[in-house]
Amino acid sequence: MTAVTAGRHRGVGARLFASPSVRLVGNRLLMAIPITLGVSILTFWVLNLIPGNAAQQLLGADATPEQIRAMELQLGLDKPAPLRYLDWLGGAVTGDLGRSLVSGQSVAGQLGERLAVTGELVAMAFVVSLVLAVPVALLAAYRPNRLFDRLSMFVSVTGLSVANYVLALVLVLVFAVRFAVFPAIGFVPLSESVGGNLHSLVLPSAAIGIPMFCLYTRFLRGDLVDQMQGQDYVVTAQAKGVGPWRVLLRHAFRNSSFGLITVVGLNLSTLIGATVIIEQIFALPGLGQLMLQAINTRDMAVVQACVVVFAVVAVLANLLTDLLYAVLDPRIRYGSR
Amino acid sequence: MTVERDEVLTADPAERAGAAALLEIRDLRIRFTRGGRRVHAVNGLSYRLDAGQMLAIIGESGSGKSVSARALLGLLPSSAEVSGSARFEGAELIGMPEREIRRRRGRDIAMVFQDPARSLNPTMRIGAQITEAIRAHSGIGRKEAGERAVELLKLVRLPAAERRFHEYPHQLSGGMRQRVVIAIALAGEPRLLIADEATTALDVTTQAQIMQLLVELQERLGMAVVMISHDLGLAASYAQHVVVMYAGRAVEYASAGRLFGHVRMPYTRALLGAVPLLEREPHAPLPVISGQPPDPAAIPKGCAFRPRCASATGRCEQAPPFSEHEPGHWWACWHPAEDPPGGSGGGGGGGEDGATR
Repeated sequence: MTAVTAGRHRGVGARLFASPSVRLVGNRLLMAIPITLGVSILTFWVLNLIPGNAAQQLLGADATPEQIRAMELQLGLDKPAPLRYLDWLGGAVTGDLGRSLVSGQSVAGQLGERLAVTGELVAMAFVVSLVLAVPVALLAAYRPNRLFDRLSMFVSVTGLSVANYVLALVLVLVFAVRFAVFPAIGFVPLSESVGGNLHSLVLPSAAIGIPMFCLYTRFLRGDLVDQMQGQDYVVTAQAKGVGPWRVLLRHAFRNSSFGLITVVGLNLSTLIGATVIIEQIFALPGLGQLMLQAINTRDMAVVQACVVVFAVVAVLANLLTDLLYAVLDPRIRYGSR
Repeated sequence: MTVERDEVLTADPAERAGAAALLEIRDLRIRFTRGGRRVHAVNGLSYRLDAGQMLAIIGESGSGKSVSARALLGLLPSSAEVSGSARFEGAELIGMPEREIRRRRGRDIAMVFQDPARSLNPTMRIGAQITEAIRAHSGIGRKEAGERAVELLKLVRLPAAERRFHEYPHQLSGGMRQRVVIAIALAGEPRLLIADEATTALDVTTQAQIMQLLVELQERLGMAVVMISHDLGLAASYAQHVVVMYAGRAVEYASAGRLFGHVRMPYTRALLGAVPLLEREPHAPLPVISGQPPDPAAIPKGCAFRPRCASATGRCEQAPPFSEHEPGHWWACWHPAEDPPGGSGGGGGGGEDGATR
């Protein structure tokens, strides 16, 4: 008991710093700084390589060079690129993301609205796919290579091999055109009607969620079967006389969950890419749609803001993954001897 | 492909007269199909174990010793084909329905495995893993089971049992983990404990401590022990009887004292010869058994040890029967070794020396 009580006598700060989770969070948040910086520089540079700028886009194809020149002066596009980047960065660091070159609206205000839509879409796809994948994988792994397992394997391989935009079109064709159960396009804000809001998100979140469900099911089923067939602790549990469901749930699943968390964490970043396409197809006023429009109009401030948001989300997703390990895995929580 | 199995079947140790045995294994055969190949893991194994006794099953890796033990608990993968008979207190274990055999696991027969680092669930507290075993067989409450678990941890002499109860496996040393695994095995008060290479992954000092603990528990609880090992010296020091297995069958069986004094089967003798001994000259090459153990998918016809045996003759193409050639001493060999002149020091220099480790 002495080791335990000794730990209690140390200062709160010292103990906080010694906690691996706190250090992990600190490190990751520090790492987020160079990552976002790098991403924003890269985006700025690439957008500058594309011919055309916001002035041309605003004035249209008929504009004279003089008009464009005047507009460029007005928008500050005459300044050299590095200087414009530093201007933006200076604003962003102090919390001012600037104004859209095209609409003149505050970027921060636009971001908030758009982020809510994308966030809802991702959350719905993510929660539903995970909630469905876990029981399906457990049922499949309970009796590997039997009917249910083979059926779920077939479905998940099929789902994984279809690109999500193809899937989106098929869903629209079946559930919006043929049967007209769900709307094909459009978005009802949550503030307007909760039911309508969920209704309008069913098809887009299915288009994102179905491939995720397939991926998670396939992965978790495989990992569970590996644990059940290859791990000694499973044999120990069976030799105790514990029932098969209990072995699967209490022993194998807990250990398989680490692998699942890794896959889910990695997947969250690719998910952001999927929203860009899906929002376009279903005409959802989300972040992805905003970014695509801004790229077309060379609306630098908006593009930059979107990209930074995506980068921060990716970093946070990875951080969350690592923190979940620490919560679930006692070897990380208590440190190894 | 089919490997013709030998039709020679004689009276075996399981058929000895006397009181009903705790465990009687007769002509146990286990086959797997792996990647289209038929693997013959156990090819007619017979032995008998009385209550409260310790039996050692000795053999190289792949000789079928672990597989035959797992078959008793129905813990083999579904691809295994098991035939023959294994009676525990008269009840036939082979072919017993899963539900019924599950009730016997841990309560009649418990098992301790080789690697304590892998045989405990890394994400569960020690206490939870033991109470789970206790509650699998009795309807007692969580609290009571917890108290019993601490008692068991004390019984296996885990230091600071109350504190360890709340710890995770990675916080324990290898020897302590094996004590926990043994505590789990004892949770159902089994009458037979199978220790499958239970001390192989431990260092020599810990190994001796764990073996001492097993012997002590065997005596205190009146529990029979099957000790599976490749270490003849260890078997000689602790077990009452020894079965030597080769290529999935028993090749020699006797009491430990008898076997090491009067080894008959050339394979056993070669095994004894391969035990490193302190008396050997420093830097002398260690004696090894030449050749490889047979591929269980292609076991040679006749005596399986024939290709590696110095005494082999043409006769060995016929499988030798496994029978009781001397009272209490069974072997399967056409050319059994003689006792060396001058009494009981035989067996390739092993003998009683091997028993002192």
